[in-house]
Amino acid sequence: MRRLAGVLVLVLAVVVAACAPQATPTPEPTQPPAPTQPPAPTQPPEPTPTPTPEPVTIQVYYPVAVDAPIAQILQGYADKFKEKYPHITVEPVFSGGYGDVKTTIQTTVEGGGTPPALAVMLAVDLYDLVNADLIVPLDEYLNAMPDKDAYLNDFIPAFLENSYYDGQIWSIPFQRSVVTLYYNKDLFAEAGLEPPDSWESWAEAASKLTLREGDDVVRWGLLYPSGWPYWLFQPLAIGNGRNIVGDDPTEVYFNDPRVIEAVQFYIDLSKEYKAMPEGVQAVWGQAPSDFASGAAAMIMHSSGSLAGILKQANFEVGVMAVPGKNPGTFATVPGGGNLYILKGAPKEQRDAAWEFIKFLTQPELVADFSINTGYIATRQAAYETAAMQEHFQQVPQAAEIRDFLQYAGKEFAVQNLGEVRNIFHKYLQAAYNGEMTPEEAMQKAQEEAEKALEPFK
Amino acid sequence: MSRSTFRQRVPVLPYLLIAPTVFFVALFTVWPTALAIYQSLFRQRLNIAKYREPTFIGLQNYVDLFTNDDFRTVIVNTAIYVLGTVPISILLGFILALLLNRQIRGLGLWRLAFFYPNVLPMVSVATIWMFFLTPDYGLFNTALQFLGYRGPQNWTANPDLALLSIMIVAIWKNAGYYMLFYLAGLQNLPTDVFEAAALDGASWWQQLWHLTFPLLRRTTLFISTIAFISAFQTVDHIFVLTQGGPSTASTTLLYWLWQVRFEYQDVGRAAALTVILIVVLLAFTVTNFLLSERQEDRYGY
Repeated sequence: MRRLAGVLVLVLAVVVAACAPQATPTPEPTQPPAPTQPPAPTQPPEPTPTPTPEPVTIQVYYPVAVDAPIAQILQGYADKFKEKYPHITVEPVFSGGYGDVKTTIQTTVEGGGTPPALAVMLAVDLYDLVNADLIVPLDEYLNAMPDKDAYLNDFIPAFLENSYYDGQIWSIPFQRSVVTLYYNKDLFAEAGLEPPDSWESWAEAASKLTLREGDDVVRWGLLYPSGWPYWLFQPLAIGNGRNIVGDDPTEVYFNDPRVIEAVQFYIDLSKEYKAMPEGVQAVWGQAPSDFASGAAAMIMHSSGSLAGILKQANFEVGVMAVPGKNPGTFATVPGGGNLYILKGAPKEQRDAAWEFIKFLTQPELVADFSINTGYIATRQAAYETAAMQEHFQQVPQAAEIRDFLQYAGKEFAVQNLGEVRNIFHKYLQAAYNGEMTPEEAMQKAQEEAEKALEPFK
Repeated sequence: MSRSTFRQRVPVLPYLLIAPTVFFVALFTVWPTALAIYQSLFRQRLNIAKYREPTFIGLQNYVDLFTNDDFRTVIVNTAIYVLGTVPISILLGFILALLLNRQIRGLGLWRLAFFYPNVLPMVSVATIWMFFLTPDYGLFNTALQFLGYRGPQNWTANPDLALLSIMIVAIWKNAGYYMLFYLAGLQNLPTDVFEAAALDGASWWQQLWHLTFPLLRRTTLFISTIAFISAFQTVDHIFVLTQGGPSTASTTLLYWLWQVRFEYQDVGRAAALTVILIVVLLAFTVTNFLLSERQEDRYGY
């Protein structure tokens, strides 16, 4: 029996050891003294103009949100970076979707762990990240750049809009996209239609291109996904002259008459014009292939789907900004992720992360990333590169998307984003599904959103 | 001290034997529960700078919850989900077990066919069903149309069908699992009782109702407990299929808890929801066992 008890104690000890807090997920480099350097204490320090930097390893948490080999591409950039900066090792870590990256980092920090030095998170997550004290402003790094203004001014303004808060700049645009209206040029030509330039001509074209056999719809004029509706809805509101979000991150305009009219237009597209399925359309995943196979003449989607659509479609694919209410007006809205440096990481890792950001945003790499993923190049200079010019020859749509970025309004970024966005989604979908009138729904949305924004006023 | 006090030695081994269990239960059950109760008494919002540090607010989180319209919707949704999926998947599991507890051609294949959904992770199941439920050309809609269904096909986006569609997915996944337990239970039933009943001229229905059912009561108790708990705990298919929508039509308690904690960053309210979830599960499990103990007495087992 004594032996048994002994064994038990042993087992227990092993179990307890196994449960002991694990090492932090970001192992600090142990910083071995570089073999070339003489031991410091015994000799007087010799002034060396360029001391060999200590080796440092940083991790980059990134999501995969598009149909592109992001993992391989990022690893390739990390390897290239290592050639230029031998003392910095960059480890890209795939972390799920955008939400997962944020949740992982949050829980790591809350649990007392060390976050990665660098992460790709949604541009609109800015306020949440600042309020939770998870990220650092980049001004210090930017001010140290000799060409700071040239660098910042070279970014496409619409993409930099969600980087500023509290007079500081917190993120650098990385994988960015924009709401795009895809249209089947062959079908438009067949029907003798011009690309629409107003709500009315858009709705009429969609109605004309809807093909029915008896009661069954063979082809929809338009598919307009609304399972996660705010992003694709925003161009309608902007196209009617009132974005749902103001300049201040505590201002929302859900119950503005122009926004309500935009909600009504979405409903009219199905109810009045019979040009798309009624109610909420949970078709984000299937819309690109429906479009490419000819089951829909137009779809609202992300610019990021262009490469996939071009691969499948055997007709001429047209891309354009979303028509506004008045003839000749257009609107769209940017989306996607930026690069953030995390506060919890040690200083030398954060500095290394900034080096990597600068490396990633060189024009050649920005162009390369855009060509290989379908994301929009974030810097003007990237469009001057030979690679990009050649790409435009092959895929003229990519150039058109760049050109209609001029119509982009501000993406929906507010304080307490998760809650306010959920409120908006709840009532927007209730209106789409006919459970409430647009006025009623947007009124309620405004009231609840203002309550959720109260702590910030 | 007299020696007699120490005549009975304190037995060490039993305590040592349960020590690992006590340790793990304390670490992974008691401690988190206590922490949730404690946190639920504080206001802490990680995405609001002035509320980032917790402030004691008593029961305010609970008061807020019980006056919140969304909470009411979520409770109703959860009740429909649990009461809809648990009895139906248990009943289906029982019927499948009865059907497959006999000598039929391809028995192994049949059992495998009904059990395999359970081997798949819920995320895969939900992804498969996302294709089944696709409007117009999804398998589920095609099959329904063949049977004469002419209603709406946008299952996951329709406010009247979204909750139903995630319930169908859960039933499809779980029925085969419960079948397995019933099969095991059926094969362990004493044959002599049934032989005697048959001799007495009891019909198949009488045997089922008066013998099979009562004899399988322990199995049913076990299955209903795990089914109930899993119904509260499964949210993967909601993430994949509906994200709780449209509006809040398919938001269940645990999904909302996730939203409150990670999207709203509301630590206090999320803790209060956790406490409510624990209380409900505990109440059910205890009631379930108490009721069954009473029945044990009645049947004289």
